[in-house]
Amino acid sequence: MNAIHDSALPVPERYLRDDPAAGVFDVHRDVYRDPALFELEMRHVFERHWVFLAHETQLPKPLDYLATWIGRQPVLLHRDDKGKIGAFLNVCPHKGAAVCQSESGNRKFHVCPYHGWTFDARGNCVLVKDRAQGAYPAHFEQADTRLPPLARFGNYRGFLFGSLNPDVPPLEEHLAGISAFLDMIVDQSEHGTEVIPGRSYYTYDANWKMQLENCLDAYHLTSTHPSFINIAASRASGGSSFRNIDIADFVDPAIPSGSYTFANGHGAIWIHTANPEVRPLYRQYDALKARVGQQRADMMLKTINFTVFPNLQFSCNACIQMRVMRPLAVDRTEMRSYCIGPKGEPADQRKLRIHQFEDFFNPTGLATPDDSRVYESVQMGLRARSAPAVGLGHLRGLRQVIQGPDEFAREIGITPLTSSSGRSDVQDETVFHGSYREWARRIKAGLASEVTP
Amino acid sequence: MSPEQALATGSALLYRQARLLDERRWQDWLDLFTEDCEYWVPAWLSEQRQTEDPNTQVSLIYYDLRSRLADRVWRVQSGTSVASDPMPRTCHAITNIQVDEAGDDAIRLFAVFRVDYHWRAQSQAYFGHYQHTLRRDGTDWRIARQKISVLNDYIPTLLDFYLV
Repeated sequence: MNAIHDSALPVPERYLRDDPAAGVFDVHRDVYRDPALFELEMRHVFERHWVFLAHETQLPKPLDYLATWIGRQPVLLHRDDKGKIGAFLNVCPHKGAAVCQSESGNRKFHVCPYHGWTFDARGNCVLVKDRAQGAYPAHFEQADTRLPPLARFGNYRGFLFGSLNPDVPPLEEHLAGISAFLDMIVDQSEHGTEVIPGRSYYTYDANWKMQLENCLDAYHLTSTHPSFINIAASRASGGSSFRNIDIADFVDPAIPSGSYTFANGHGAIWIHTANPEVRPLYRQYDALKARVGQQRADMMLKTINFTVFPNLQFSCNACIQMRVMRPLAVDRTEMRSYCIGPKGEPADQRKLRIHQFEDFFNPTGLATPDDSRVYESVQMGLRARSAPAVGLGHLRGLRQVIQGPDEFAREIGITPLTSSSGRSDVQDETVFHGSYREWARRIKAGLASEVTP
Repeated sequence: MSPEQALATGSALLYRQARLLDERRWQDWLDLFTEDCEYWVPAWLSEQRQTEDPNTQVSLIYYDLRSRLADRVWRVQSGTSVASDPMPRTCHAITNIQVDEAGDDAIRLFAVFRVDYHWRAQSQAYFGHYQHTLRRDGTDWRIARQKISVLNDYIPTLLDFYLV
C-alpha cells in the first residue's frame, strides 16, 4: 500500500512523505501537475509570506519605479524624491485599474488611466478627479484613498522583499542562514552589488519547482550540458582568449563540494572551482582577501548556487546570475534573469563578466535553454499518470546527509539545518528537501488558518 | 555605388542569409560574416529602451568575432543540446529593406524581419529590426555588423541565432 496520495490524508501529507531515519523522501508527482495544488501554493506559499521583489539598484534614482508581483498580485515599487522606496499593490482604490501600466521608468505620479485619480511616490492620492463636484457621502470623504501599501516591506542590503500578510517574522529572521550567502555577493565589493542594466524575461512551459530544484541540482550538469562542457573544453585547448567556467571540472570526485538546507526553505550548494582564474573577481583576490579574510574570499571564488525560498535564486559560477521566478500556472513559469556584479568593478572585468553571463545564462545562452527544454520534457513526461506516482528524484545523497553544520559550514560560520559534503560526484539531491519541508509547512499552516470555527 | 546598386547587393545578401539559415547550411551561413564581425542582439532596459553598450550592459547575444558564432553553430550540429533536438523548422521573411549608406566598400542597411518557427506542434514567431553593415571583400560582400532588435522580447523558452 502506498500511503502517499491517500485522499484520507490531509494536504500536504498527501503529496510528501518525509522520514529521514527510514531513508524516505517521496514526492508525489502531482506536486508538479495538479492545478488545485497550484492554487494552494499561490495562496499559502507566495501570498502569505516574504517574497523577493527587486534589487534596489533596479530603481536607482529618485522617482524611479518598478512593477512586479507577489504570487498573482501586482505590486508597484516607487522611490520618492527623498530616495525612500515605497511598496504598494498596483491597484486604484476607485475602480481597481492598475495605476502603473509599464514595467519600469521614472515619474513623479501615477495617474490611473480610467478616471484620473493620481498617486505620488509615497502612495498618497493627491487627486480625486472632480472630487468637489462629486456629491459624495460622508464615509467616502473618510475613506482611505491611498494605494494599498504592502503589509510588510523590507530591505536586506539592497535586496527588497515584501509580504501581503503582516503576520510574518522580521525579514532578517526569515532569511536566517541564507543571509550569509547574500552577504558573500554584496561583499564582493566594498561598494556593494548592482544589477547590470539589460534584463531578459522568458517563460517555460513547466512547473516552477523544476527551476526551484534545478538551481541546486549538480547531477544534471554532465547530461544536460555536454554541449557547453565541450565548448568550454575546446576554448581551453584551442587557446581561445575567451574563457568561462568549465563545468566538467565539477564532477571530478577529487573536487570538494557541499550542500546545505536552511530554515524557511532556503538552500545552497557549493563546488570548488578548478579554474578560478577565469573569474572577473579573481583579479581582485588580494584586495578581497585583505578586506574580507581568506576564507570568505576563497568562498566567493567557488561555484555557489543558492535559493532564497520561494522565488529568488543565484547562480554564481564565473559571473553571477540573479533569477526571479514567477509561477503563472501549474505548467507555466515566468523567469526574470539579471546579471549582477560588484559596484565599481574595473571596465575590462565588467565586460568579461557580461560576456560570460551572456554565454551561459539567459534564454539566449549556451546552457539555460537546455535546462528550460528539459523542464518541458519533464512536464510532458509527467502526463504519464499511469506510471508510478512517486518519483525517484530526491534520494541521491540521503545516506550522507547530517543534521546541523558540517566542518566546512563551521569553518565559514554558517548554520544550516542539514549538511552534506564530500565527493562532488555524490551530486546530492537532499538539498531540495528543505524547500519541500517549508512548502508543506506553509500550505499546512495556510489551510489551518482558513478553517472557519 | 548608387543607392539602387547598394539595395540590389544588400537585398541579395540578406535574402541569401535567410535562406541559408532556413536550409541549415550553417558553414555557408558563417562564411557570410567577416572574421571580426559584430553580431549583436541587444536586450531591453524597459519596454521602450533597448541596451546601447554591449560592454557595460547585458545583451541577449553579443559577439565581436566570427569564431564565437561558430561555437553556436557547433552546438546545434552536435546533437548534444536538448534545446535544439529536434531543431525547430524556421521561415525567415525579410522586407522593408532600406539603404542608409551606399559606399564603394561599405553598405549600411535597415530591414525588418519575421521568423516563424515550428517546434513540437507549436508555431511561434520572433520579429523585429535588422541593421546591417556590409563590407566589400574582393568581389564578394560580407556582413561586418549585424544588429538584431527583437521586438517581442518576452521569450518563450529560448531564442537563438537560427530563430532571428
